[in-house]
Amino acid sequence: MRGRPHLYVSYESEQSLLPTWTQRVIVVLFLFLMVLIPLNGGIEIGERVFQPLGFLSDNSWLKILSRVAIFGIGALGLNILTGLAGQVSLGHAFFMGIGAYTAAVLGGEVGKAHWGLGLPIWIWLPAAGLVAALVGMLVAPTAVRVRGLYLAIVTLGLVFIGEYLFRNLVSITGGSQSGRKFPELEFRWWQSEEPALAFNSDGPIWAPFNWLDWLLGPWINFPADVSEEAKTYLILLVLLVVFVVLAKNLQRTRIGRAFMALRDRDIAAEVMGVPDAKTKFEAFAISSFYAGVAGALLVAFIGRTIPEQFNLLLSVQFVAIILIGGAGTVAGTLMGSVFVFVFPRLVQDFSVWLTETVEAGGVLSSVADFFVSTSLDDPGLVSTLEGVSPGLNVSQLNLVIYGLLIVGFLIFEPLGLYGIWLRIRNYWKGWPFTY
Amino acid sequence: MTATVDRVDGPSTPSGVATVASRVREWAERDPDATAMREKDFGIWQEHSWSRLWDDIITAGHALLALGVGVGDVVSIHSEDRPEWVVLDLATVAIRGINTGLYPTNPVAEVKYLLNDSGAKVHFAEDQEQVDKVLDAPRGDFPKVEKIIYVEPRGVRTYTDDRLMFWDDFMELGRRHRAENDGAVEALMAEATDEDIITLVYTSGTTGPPKGAMLNNRNAKFAIDKIVMAEGRTRDGKNPHPNDQVLTYLPLCHVAERIFSTWHMVGAGVTLNFAESIETVQINLREVQPTLFFAVPRIWEKIHATVLIKLNDATPLKRLFNVVGMKLAGFIGRDRVANNGNFTWKSRLAYAVGNPLMFRALKERVGLRRCRWAGTGAAAIAPEVLEFFMGIGVDVYELYGMTENAAVATLNHHGRVKVGTVGEPYADIGLRLDDETGEIQTKHEGVFAGYWQLPEKTADTFTDDGWLMTGDVGVWVDGTHIKIVDRIKHIIITSGGKNVSPSEIENSLKTSPYIKEAMVIGEGRKYLGALVGIEFDTVGNWALRNNIPYTTYRDLSEKPEVIELVQGLVDETNEKFARAEQIKKFRMIPKELDHEDGELTATQKVKRNAMEEMFADLVEDLYR
Repeated sequence: MRGRPHLYVSYESEQSLLPTWTQRVIVVLFLFLMVLIPLNGGIEIGERVFQPLGFLSDNSWLKILSRVAIFGIGALGLNILTGLAGQVSLGHAFFMGIGAYTAAVLGGEVGKAHWGLGLPIWIWLPAAGLVAALVGMLVAPTAVRVRGLYLAIVTLGLVFIGEYLFRNLVSITGGSQSGRKFPELEFRWWQSEEPALAFNSDGPIWAPFNWLDWLLGPWINFPADVSEEAKTYLILLVLLVVFVVLAKNLQRTRIGRAFMALRDRDIAAEVMGVPDAKTKFEAFAISSFYAGVAGALLVAFIGRTIPEQFNLLLSVQFVAIILIGGAGTVAGTLMGSVFVFVFPRLVQDFSVWLTETVEAGGVLSSVADFFVSTSLDDPGLVSTLEGVSPGLNVSQLNLVIYGLLIVGFLIFEPLGLYGIWLRIRNYWKGWPFTY
Repeated sequence: MTATVDRVDGPSTPSGVATVASRVREWAERDPDATAMREKDFGIWQEHSWSRLWDDIITAGHALLALGVGVGDVVSIHSEDRPEWVVLDLATVAIRGINTGLYPTNPVAEVKYLLNDSGAKVHFAEDQEQVDKVLDAPRGDFPKVEKIIYVEPRGVRTYTDDRLMFWDDFMELGRRHRAENDGAVEALMAEATDEDIITLVYTSGTTGPPKGAMLNNRNAKFAIDKIVMAEGRTRDGKNPHPNDQVLTYLPLCHVAERIFSTWHMVGAGVTLNFAESIETVQINLREVQPTLFFAVPRIWEKIHATVLIKLNDATPLKRLFNVVGMKLAGFIGRDRVANNGNFTWKSRLAYAVGNPLMFRALKERVGLRRCRWAGTGAAAIAPEVLEFFMGIGVDVYELYGMTENAAVATLNHHGRVKVGTVGEPYADIGLRLDDETGEIQTKHEGVFAGYWQLPEKTADTFTDDGWLMTGDVGVWVDGTHIKIVDRIKHIIITSGGKNVSPSEIENSLKTSPYIKEAMVIGEGRKYLGALVGIEFDTVGNWALRNNIPYTTYRDLSEKPEVIELVQGLVDETNEKFARAEQIKKFRMIPKELDHEDGELTATQKVKRNAMEEMFADLVEDLYR
């Protein structure tokens, strides 16, 4: 009820995603900011142009954010399977691969060396999810037989089977040598037309959305040219929002509650009338659908890649995302994927900044010199030098930190970033009491 | 809750006398889909609209007719607060019957007395517990009860007694009767008169057996006019209206909850929200955030004590803010008490700092953030508690009244509060203090019709010139407000010939969060003594902090450290009183007082005579 957030007069209001107006406003503002990022120009208020988070409009940052969106979708899938339904899976990369190559066959270029039907995105993207879901359903029965570590081993096996298959089905995947080209991120009504919406080339803001310019033009300065990266980012953002809403909704349906019951104790769940086999079936299908879509988007985003892309490391990356973010929560999953992709960039920027500080001299210089090696005979933790250096290079440092973080989170904050957020929120929610 | 927001007066009656039942019809016609009541079921506050409530009342009225309840017959209700309570209450009034409520805690013996004294024909017993209180006794013990209606079938389903009837079957019976005799209930409603007795409210009976005070339609109308629609009662000056939320949790058989729930609902259209149980009141309070909230001093003291403990148990940073906040609240409270409840610029400034700092969050946690009127009555409250709540911006107004005058006597108005008094008499009512004894006497349309079947006792409560003797001694404060001294019969005369009012001393003791019960004795003795019962939660918490191990209530209250703690509190109280009014000795009550054991009345008042008998050894020990 309005003004009384704890007074629920219906189950709908108790289960609503954004129960209070404050939350609604915050979400809308946040989305607005996210949309604004790539639109160089920002909001015009009087003479001044206001663009919060403007620094992210740089193309290299946009690429990172696009990756966040793609991996966010994939991680939401793993979160449904592992976080909600409690089925440990290391096979996420395999399902992504299935999705990627389904997209390749359906949407890839016609003829040439590889199979390709040249179908538009509205066919290959859902199909990627559906085919992955079908494969997921084939795997599901094993989960009824084994659980925990054993299930992890079974799904681990999938990754190796997948890698072998992908490497050898050259007419589909292009093989290890050169890989293949994948469908472009563009919207066409049918095979060979000119794309109605192209997300993959520079150009003016696309025609069908001119009304946006007309509507918001007085306040927002839409740039005449929008870069390829910006467009890609925007379409991925839209897709991410769609999948987030779907995942959030799933959690509050009967199926979502069944998943959680299964996770907490499968025997108890069955006693309550949650069928074990059917529910695991659903969990694998839905999770694989997400993975398939994410796989298709990933390859379309990269453009050309080799089968080894879908190896164990990719699976582990997803596990890391949901562990760091917080298993079982949508918000945590998103935080995890932001963290996993933004953090390395920050480490890199920081290393560069340290090196520059050393070179510039001054008070901070000697402190920075302690961490940074600037030449072959200068010991230090990290180095931005090309080639061999006494310290770690930036990506090595990233891997080390990455590993430490996962260990740290597992020990100190099993609920991940979301757990930290929960604790902060509860601290303020409880004000002025503690319990 | 749409178009009627600004309408604050009650509806008028087209035919017959305005009764509490006919007022529901008015609301149902005016705004059928608006919410009248809410009841929490399976975690959701299920809403009852006015039209549904009205429909239920008519059906229940038909069902009562089908069971042979005639004009002037009694229906008894033995249940926690729930919508069926209100439905049955109003349905009885609609068919010109009389209802009477029993406290859920009433033990078997009292149930037997009350049902036989009232002569109830139909008895509503909520669940197995209450049903058993009747069924466990031989049938001959309850000669007049013809039907027992229950609403919680668990455990009762297997019973075979032919008097039992499930609520759904009762309503089905009503629907069938309604189909055959449509309009029968409405016809009876149109015949209602002002003199129709609508309810028997049994007095708590601290001294003798309970007496059933008869209230009629005129009394109810007067109480609604005077109390519900009292001018200048609320903070924003608006009378209760349909957007107001009320939490219904005190026993509805008590006149106070009847007025602050049922009669507020029918009189002003406020929404009733039924608390799940007495244990969940604090949670429900937080959910509902009522705008009008009435509580007995016991509840206010409990909230106060809980808040203090929780504030103290907070993590360091929060505690820092809490200490500052409580300092501010203390200042604001003192300042407002000194200014009749009004803010001065200093306290307003302090409030502007304290409110965002912690008062607002604190009020939200307690459930009083949206409260625009809060009241206390039915017993004396410690001024410190009122001061605390004033300090955090919850204005608690003390009011006074009793069953026999439909609770219409005095109230504190917004901006004219004198803490320690029960306020000013309502406008245009007869209220005087007896010249000799100082007893408060009232004469107005709310004064009851008499005790049920006890004409002599009724005559005893009226003066020769027809004023109701309340039995409470009061004094005028500044010529406008009244301060209650004590019950006439509680006043102690020591062997030294000194008149002492024990309540004042007891209330001063009970100000401490550590003391739950105190009973001062000394009638015909050389000096005053006291029996003291500790508050188990707070003293337990105190013991934990001081590393004092304990097991049971008795063990804890007999710890030397605890006795020392109480001694300190007694000494503090003694400083406030003259020598003859000081407590020389005290003893700890070894158990938590309980209604079922006969130490308390259903309203948690100490039965003094029973106590002196039950703890005779302790009393003797005081004067050894």
